[in-house]
Amino acid sequence: MAARIVAWLAFAVAAYALVPFAFAGNLYLMSMIIASLTIGGIALAWALLGNLGGLVSFGHAAFFGVGSYASALLVMKAGWPIGISLLAGGACAAFAAVLMLPALRLRGPYFALAVLAYAHIFRIIATEWKGLTNGAGGIGNIPRFPVVFGYDFSSKTGAYWIVLSLVLAFALIYAWIRSSHLGLALRAMHDSEEATRAVGVNSTLAKALMLFLSAFMTGMVGAFNAHYINFLEPDYAFSGLWTMLPIVAAIFGGYRTISGPLIGAVVVYLLDQLVFKAMMPIGHQIVLGALLGAMILFAPQGLLSIFARRRPRMASASGDA
Amino acid sequence: MLELSDIGVRFGGLRALDGVSLSVADSEIVGLVGPNGAGKTTLFNVISGNLRPQRGSLRFAGADIGSVPAYARARLGIGRTFQIPQPMHTLTVAENLAVAQRFGASRVDAQAAAEILDLVQLTGLASRDAATSLSLAELKALEVAKALATRPRMLLLDEVLAGLEAVAKRRFTQMLADIHARYKLAIVIIEHDIETISTLCPRAAVLNFGQLIADGTPSVVFSQPDVVASYTGTVPDA
Repeated sequence: MAARIVAWLAFAVAAYALVPFAFAGNLYLMSMIIASLTIGGIALAWALLGNLGGLVSFGHAAFFGVGSYASALLVMKAGWPIGISLLAGGACAAFAAVLMLPALRLRGPYFALAVLAYAHIFRIIATEWKGLTNGAGGIGNIPRFPVVFGYDFSSKTGAYWIVLSLVLAFALIYAWIRSSHLGLALRAMHDSEEATRAVGVNSTLAKALMLFLSAFMTGMVGAFNAHYINFLEPDYAFSGLWTMLPIVAAIFGGYRTISGPLIGAVVVYLLDQLVFKAMMPIGHQIVLGALLGAMILFAPQGLLSIFARRRPRMASASGDA
Repeated sequence: MLELSDIGVRFGGLRALDGVSLSVADSEIVGLVGPNGAGKTTLFNVISGNLRPQRGSLRFAGADIGSVPAYARARLGIGRTFQIPQPMHTLTVAENLAVAQRFGASRVDAQAAAEILDLVQLTGLASRDAATSLSLAELKALEVAKALATRPRMLLLDEVLAGLEAVAKRRFTQMLADIHARYKLAIVIIEHDIETISTLCPRAAVLNFGQLIADGTPSVVFSQPDVVASYTGTVPDA
């Protein structure tokens, strides 16, 4: 236990201090790291819904888009402070998920497809509701993160700290729920929903709570992104990439774990942008696709499982020696 | 405790339950028997809230529970087991009980959980994985333990003895008698073994083609010609 706490503290120090210290001068690399953590935050929220709620969603782009538009509009039209609007963006995304509740009656691919269709509705609303969103023209000059205690959080390092704090907070919430009685019941529901209902678990409410939480997290990431890039348009905010990339990242890293989606997002995105793109400026996603295919075939539990398999083998090898 | 009145369930053209009325008193043990397809499990599904009847009313502890969902009926005190054991596979035996304890009728403590495990003879298996390491008899015992952990006032046992060999069946029957003596709860048990019903239950109710055709002491019920006919397939003399 103590070793685990020390490991986490070391990771936190490295993440908060060493990364900015090492890369703050390289703005392009910092942008890539921030983008990978943005995807990691959605991947974590997506994996939470799949792992604990037992629901596979193809519609997280809707939550991302709603969160980003809500936060941007609340700051620009209602004058809300950005700190509050980030939470409000999450809350609006969770509210959007309420409208999704009828889909909870569906299972497996039917739920996934219903949510995919549902996500598309929000893209249309954002495009057509021109009075509020400026339609396809988008919203420019979205206020950046403010200066707090003399530090400019609109800087790359400031934005990095914000998104890092968000995803680490999500990971802690995820871990807390997983170890709680609710988490136990949610895991039990995967085995037999009928049996868990028979011992008093309100399975529909439990799944709905995971949907709201996942939407809230994704909405907050969307809100962060809106103030980070300062521009929104429906095709960007509700792009299918906000669904696809996190799923790829979560599967690549290992969606059954908490750290897997985050590690997957950082590795996948940085590999794609810094390595594959340099090798193949056009069509570099093909390499990523092939890599993902290989992962699904040879390590379906994700990247972390490869290291988990290697560790005992190495331990036994050293023991034999 | 439980009052069913004129319960009717249809699956398409099939009348699974047809005007079934049945009452179960506090602390009473009732054996529910009948040939395969008679509607016994359907009746359990109706009582536990897994199935809404098209007709009739249900009262439990004086309250109308017709529109109460399954999870809420468990919290009211209706515990049940499933014909095919449904353990929560990815959890240990102790975690299976923890879920039932936390979400059931009342929160029980670790000591009560240990007592339940002792009663169903699973004490040594608490940390075992429910999926891979339990025998059929142990899985059935876990079903009973989960239901008990919800602190029920009534226990619905769906063929918990089915598939067990004679010695295990006798041990299980004694275990159920001990549970009844310890917790004083009402028990309705579906079972095909007439001897077990006669040993365990002061009262037996017989379903056939969705209708309640007999209700009384086992010795009287099992000597009724229409009950014998329902099992043998013969037509009773007029």
